[in-house]
Amino acid sequence: MSHDNSSPDFLQHHFHDVDQQYETAKLGMWAFILTEVLTFGGLFVAYVVYRSWYPEMFVGANLLLDVNKGLLNTIVLITSSLTMVLAVWAIQQKKQKLSLFMLIATFLFAFMFLGIKYLEYSHKFEVGQLPGEYYSYMGPEVAHLNNPHIFFSIYFIMTGLHGLHVAIGMGLIAWLIYATAKGNLHSKYYTPMEMIGIFWHLVDLIWIYLFPLFYLI
Amino acid sequence: MSEHHITPLKTYLVIAGALFCLTAITVWVSYFDFGSLNIIIAMGVATFKATLVALFFMHLLWDDKKNLTMFIMSLMFLGIFITITLLDTGFRGGVNPEVEYPINKRAAFYDSLPLTDTHGNPVDEHGTDSHEGDEDHH
Amino acid sequence: MAENEKLNYLTHPKGIMSWLLTLDHKRIGLMYLFGGIIFFFLGGLLALGMRLELAAPGNDFMSNETYNNVYTLHGAIMIFLFIIPAIPGALGNMLLPLMLGAKDVAFPRLNLASFYIYTLGALFVVYTIIAGGVDTGWTFYTPYSTTSTSNVIPMTMGIFIIGFSSILTGLNFIATIHKMRIPGLTWYKLPLFVWALYGTSLVQITATPVIAITMVLLILERLLGIGIFDPALGGDPVLYQHFFWFYSHPAVYIMILPAFGIISEIIPVHSRKKIWGYKFIAFSTLSIAFIGFLVWGHHMFTSGQSVFSQIVFSFITYFVGIPTGVKIFSWILTMYKGQVSFTPPMLYALSFLFLFTIGGLTGIFLGAVALDIHLHDTYFVVAHFHYVMQGGTIIAFLGGLHHWWPKTMGAMYNQTVASICCLGVFLGFNGTFFPQFLLGLRGMPRRYATYDPQYAELHNYSSFWSGILGLSIFIAIMNLLWSLRKSNKLDPGTNPWGAMTLEWTHTSSPPHPHNFEEEPVLEHGPYDYDKVIVEPTFKK
Repeated sequence: MSHDNSSPDFLQHHFHDVDQQYETAKLGMWAFILTEVLTFGGLFVAYVVYRSWYPEMFVGANLLLDVNKGLLNTIVLITSSLTMVLAVWAIQQKKQKLSLFMLIATFLFAFMFLGIKYLEYSHKFEVGQLPGEYYSYMGPEVAHLNNPHIFFSIYFIMTGLHGLHVAIGMGLIAWLIYATAKGNLHSKYYTPMEMIGIFWHLVDLIWIYLFPLFYLI
Repeated sequence: MSEHHITPLKTYLVIAGALFCLTAITVWVSYFDFGSLNIIIAMGVATFKATLVALFFMHLLWDDKKNLTMFIMSLMFLGIFITITLLDTGFRGGVNPEVEYPINKRAAFYDSLPLTDTHGNPVDEHGTDSHEGDEDHH
Repeated sequence: MAENEKLNYLTHPKGIMSWLLTLDHKRIGLMYLFGGIIFFFLGGLLALGMRLELAAPGNDFMSNETYNNVYTLHGAIMIFLFIIPAIPGALGNMLLPLMLGAKDVAFPRLNLASFYIYTLGALFVVYTIIAGGVDTGWTFYTPYSTTSTSNVIPMTMGIFIIGFSSILTGLNFIATIHKMRIPGLTWYKLPLFVWALYGTSLVQITATPVIAITMVLLILERLLGIGIFDPALGGDPVLYQHFFWFYSHPAVYIMILPAFGIISEIIPVHSRKKIWGYKFIAFSTLSIAFIGFLVWGHHMFTSGQSVFSQIVFSFITYFVGIPTGVKIFSWILTMYKGQVSFTPPMLYALSFLFLFTIGGLTGIFLGAVALDIHLHDTYFVVAHFHYVMQGGTIIAFLGGLHHWWPKTMGAMYNQTVASICCLGVFLGFNGTFFPQFLLGLRGMPRRYATYDPQYAELHNYSSFWSGILGLSIFIAIMNLLWSLRKSNKLDPGTNPWGAMTLEWTHTSSPPHPHNFEEEPVLEHGPYDYDKVIVEPTFKK
């Protein structure tokens, strides 16, 4: 791989060379990932504490969640992670069109995730499995449980925050699609794609934990 | 950009395959009841999947080790937060003679909620539905 | 050569838009300084209002409800809008790239975004004041904060937003320190202020997300009645305190570590002596940053948490004082057999050593559970944290301003006036807050607008000296601003104190817009007074 002797137009003035710029961007992105882990982490603390206080309630209430939709969402998200990483691989191989295709696929999978989530949420709204004071579902599964509204409060906050990150990711991927289509991202400069990819994988990572915690155990 | 490690396509596909398999395993295992091991198995599988995503998809295996260090530090601090908080919430009433019971057995608003079936439609309390009434009430 | 004729970042580029859209870290630093000082004065006025009310028993001119609003706003403004952003935002932004030999921070656009996010959060807080304030205390403890009719949501939204500013600044500094140093500038050759900013930044990115999610949960609890903190709905109010203090204890280290860094810069320079225990100071910074995450429960000794966790928190709290003690000894040993000159920065640094030691030690008193049961929520705690936050951070901040003012502004201030103000601050501070230790020991609770007549005498002293304190700080800042007037401007030269770090040896006063005309080559360590002679360019 050759270095450009002249400054490429994507090299910012305060960096010596593209390598320094790339490495710095990556370091910055991982510092950001650290903050995201701690943000969601706070909610995991709430989950752990309440689960330790109401173990039977958690086990009982999670039967109300649709495992099939959760599983489908997991598969969708893992696939979208794969397409995201293939988008970066493609652009490294100078396959601009393939990269663009993979980005569009990632975007569509993300959209599908939100669509399935919408179906789940709307069912819960219908039957009254809502957070906090708005909870009104007293079906046979929960009639004997202590405070199932706590389960749904934590469920909605965690999956809601996660869904918000999926939506933000979609926005970022849409920008990537635009930049790749226009040729601003290419085999010599694809740093934003890789960085947004790392963000997207984090979104997948969080769901990898949310799925078993809410749907399976 | 020079000397950037480019992961082979095959690696990505193999890892993705592994992730799908592990997902299937974790769902399958959830249908069996191992008691208190349930949570450990589920979290173990999830952690293994997360490790694959972090090391391969997020490229940490080949990256500057500072990035991996930061990621592990974030998990460590999360672990500190959870563990020390549990030292409080799990040991209330440990020393002083206070009555230790859950914060509130049942929030007051449940007394005003009508019983419903699985679709959220109210049922007659004295109806013939055999699902209700056989669990222990508080 | 007159420095103000040379190209510098203050005058070039020109125009208001070149400031509002600047990517120059030095200009962003000045904007943070400007914003910070405004909120410092606002918080200070609130404090003087409180001291005026407390000068005599009874509700003199504030009702209890008004007083609740005043101390809440005083705390929130001082902590979130001044102390946490000020040293990293103002001095850090201004100096970090200069100390590293870099042209700018790693992510200049993110830096500007951080400033505007800070401004947006500040606007939410200003709105809260105009809308009638908030009366929960800056700690927003549930269940009162979830049920209070005051403007909790705008205030907590403001704090949520400002948190992002803090996170992004920390992120920027970490990337800058790791990646933007000139060749040869290894970790152990860095100025200790850089180590301090590094430790601070690590704490910022790790702790601040938790206050963000805490504020979100508080807002959701108010809006949706989730019940996570409400016992009537099966929740736990103490859990809120865990969430809040998991951030807010490391936050106090965000507040003090940069101050430690400033002292580490001032003392060697104004003693013309190599710092004693460089590695001790560097590693104690990281130790404090880490141990600070393990002790948050010492704010909750009377909250009802389990006795087991009380013991754990108290035990670990004793360890957090040790690295700080290491620093104090290192600084004192630095001065030993040095050529100490009693310049204003040095006077502030000496004040710091005295005042922070008192503050730090009284913190250790409070770390003992048995003592804290009696002293919690009394004026003893109020005195303790003012000794560390004001006697510590703000004194160091003033010292740093006086130390780096000639470099960043290209003008020397009247040192006699500055020294007198430092004395006024020192005496005013002790006069205000030392009586408060005694008040606390005698049982005066905090956050009370009225009190029994037995406390009147000490409150009287406290209020009187608070006036001296406020006046001295005000004149000190005015003295600095006065130095900027065009007529009779005193030119400090590039290195008025004879310091050895890159911002002094390789830049003009004020610095060039791109910091260095050409990239500096490292010639010596940051404090090599035993090897190299650097002459000060300003003779008093």
